[in-house]
Amino acid sequence: MAKQYDVLFRLLLLGDSGVGKTCLLCRFTDNEFHPSHISTIGVDFKMKTLEIDGIKVRIQIWDTAGQERYQTITKQYYRRAQGIFLVYDITSERSFQHIMKWASDVDEYAPDKVQKILVGNKSDEEQKRQVATAQGNKLAKAYGMDFFETSAFTNHNITESFTRLAELVLQANKKDLDVLRVSINDKLNLAALEEEEGVCDSSSDAQKTCWC
Amino acid sequence: MGPQTPDHQNGPEDQCSVASQDSGIPTLEINPPEHVHVQPYSPNDDGPATLTLESSDGTLHKSSTFPRSGLEWRLFSPPGGVRAGGGALNRSDEISVCSVSSLSTELSATLSLSNDDIIDFMVTSDSSAVVTFENNSDMVVSASRFSEASLPPSDDLPQSHQGALTPGELRLKRTSPILSFINRNLFSKKLKGVSAADGHREPGWRLFGRVPPSNPKAALKENERGAQAGDSPSPRQSVRKNLEFEPLSTTALILEHRPANLPAKPAEEAEKHQQQYEEMVAQAKKRELREAQKRKKQLEDRVKQEENIGNAALTWSQEILPNWTTMCSSKRVKELWWQGVPPSVRGRVWSLAIGNDLNITHELYDICLARAKERWNASSAPSTTTDTDTGGSSHADREASLELIKLDISRTFPSLCIFQKGGPYHDVLHSILGAYTCYRPDVGYVQGMSFIAAVLILNMHTADAFIAFANLLNKPCQMAFYRVDHSLMLTYFAAFEVFFEENLPKLFAHFKSNNLTPDIYLIDWIFTLYSKSLPLDVACRVWDVFCRDGEEFLFRTALGILRLYEDVLTHMDFIHNAQFLTRLPEHINAHTLFSSIAAVSMSCRNRKWTQVLHTLQKDPERASPVLKR
Repeated sequence: MAKQYDVLFRLLLLGDSGVGKTCLLCRFTDNEFHPSHISTIGVDFKMKTLEIDGIKVRIQIWDTAGQERYQTITKQYYRRAQGIFLVYDITSERSFQHIMKWASDVDEYAPDKVQKILVGNKSDEEQKRQVATAQGNKLAKAYGMDFFETSAFTNHNITESFTRLAELVLQANKKDLDVLRVSINDKLNLAALEEEEGVCDSSSDAQKTCWC
Repeated sequence: MGPQTPDHQNGPEDQCSVASQDSGIPTLEINPPEHVHVQPYSPNDDGPATLTLESSDGTLHKSSTFPRSGLEWRLFSPPGGVRAGGGALNRSDEISVCSVSSLSTELSATLSLSNDDIIDFMVTSDSSAVVTFENNSDMVVSASRFSEASLPPSDDLPQSHQGALTPGELRLKRTSPILSFINRNLFSKKLKGVSAADGHREPGWRLFGRVPPSNPKAALKENERGAQAGDSPSPRQSVRKNLEFEPLSTTALILEHRPANLPAKPAEEAEKHQQQYEEMVAQAKKRELREAQKRKKQLEDRVKQEENIGNAALTWSQEILPNWTTMCSSKRVKELWWQGVPPSVRGRVWSLAIGNDLNITHELYDICLARAKERWNASSAPSTTTDTDTGGSSHADREASLELIKLDISRTFPSLCIFQKGGPYHDVLHSILGAYTCYRPDVGYVQGMSFIAAVLILNMHTADAFIAFANLLNKPCQMAFYRVDHSLMLTYFAAFEVFFEENLPKLFAHFKSNNLTPDIYLIDWIFTLYSKSLPLDVACRVWDVFCRDGEEFLFRTALGILRLYEDVLTHMDFIHNAQFLTRLPEHINAHTLFSSIAAVSMSCRNRKWTQVLHTLQKDPERASPVLKR
């Protein structure tokens, strides 16, 4: 049986309620858009396999509930992620201001090596815009992140942003990836490796081959 | 047929409301109004939608149609006759069959009989639906009622208010029995609501309708009679009359002569073909006869089920509810309870079972609502920075929570189209959630609450729904979750895992090795009490027993679901399991699920759920180690 993928890793969608996390995801994985989506409670899951530089990358995407109250729960999932989308809504100043809070939580709870990108969604709603593109760019620069303005509605920059984050995660783990690809011609489960590391991290951090 | 006979127009006992007396079977599966496409008679196109918009006089009109996403009816009325097409009826499952038949009218019975597939549907509906229509002028009443009451007095049907019908309308009614059927179905509860407003107002529940006073079997028979009488007495039709079917394909190409440019068919070959053809026809007949019998049986079962529900509703409303305190814990009632509370008494049973430990009165609700409204008005006015007195952050929080409520209302059962802006229950849901944030500012609004409030609204009047809502959320398990008391939540998960391992050791081990922790699927299930994850009618049954057994049943249901899908789940990896459990199959049958739940044992080494939970609470170290970091 042909293997379905070479590398597996997890991406996490974070951001305020109603910024369009679930819509971004549905557009990316199913190419669908539902204007009135059911609210996400807890966490939802999707996955998709991409091919990047000839490597079949399977990404699991964890779509979280945005309300602050749920952060106690969702924080538990940060440490399991290799890549994180910080999403705000360009028509909501507040969602943009909260990015700082989200980013500091990520710094606190996610693995150091985690890759992040900033996404300003709903770019189609230009007439309701409250956050200028320049503001988004500036913030992204300050955090050293890539920045995309997207629209799940018009399918603008969706694949680009997901692919970009996947590339970043691959690059960040490239060294280990090459080593492992030479030594074993088997599928590489970044997520599982990370999991093992998660289990042993309290005992030692001598395991340099770990991903995170 | 006289569509305008006086008794239909003015009779106090109009047939519509009789027909709308229900069946008790959930009509959940009928579709969202905006999915009903009726062509080509545009005047009524927006009818159903108009219906949902009306909630003028403060009376709550409970519509009888509470669909779940996914099912769709598309009705087409081509000039030639009535047919259903699109992928509509062949997508039907048992539940939709149930919903159709629940109208307990002749026509609906016909429909449920015939919605196995499109072809069937066309065959039968062309005959019996039209016949039913002709025999049953109440259809016309419903159509005209519909246009009177639900359409704005506008240009579309200018004469209907005077009681005179234009030929176009007549044609509309004649050719669109399905339309009338849909109209009636959508509309019957509204009529009911109107009649309830000016007369005997019964408290409680309107979602699923009421018990028909007439014997459904009569309807069945009438339907059969109608189907037969309607066919013109040609010889072919009489065959049909006897067999209730005929082979669908009788083109018999195989019997034709060969084309002129080929050698002629030898006699014995022709004979052989003849024979083969006859065999084929015989088999087809046999098969269709079997199917016809199956459909008949289904219909009979349905009728029986409706009868059972009707009887149960009587028992509940006449015996149990009047003697609630003495009877509610008796064995017989508990058994009846497990089988599902009839929708017509569900709201009252839930209210009684949830209780009102908080002693909330209708007045208190009004006070909380008034305060909530003040806040909405304050926040919708241009913010003139008066927030320094309470501290900017709490003000911002409150505002954020108000906005979140608004956002979430539109995302609560979006497929039902009744809670969205402009929908009949939008304001009710908004009021209950708003009032709760004033009643319990320490808890506030938490995502997931909108689903609980919505289910309650579908089953009881606003103030009662609020009382039940506040009391329900006050239960220990709900408080733990809604206040996100993380350590207590972990204790619940740990207790769940104890019973998980006990009941399904193999699956438990599989999940463990895949690092699939219970929080991943339980959070959604517990927060929304399954209303988001299970079909609404099944979720209501879970709520029934949850009201009877308490929080334990929520976890038992979870185990029932896992048990039901154990085979599938043990063969999937983390992500597939997580996806499966956070988005359960759309068509879960209540009966199958409840047998699975019944097989779950909630005692582990002689310890019951509460004992296990208490032990874990005293000893937090034993809580789920995976989740604790």
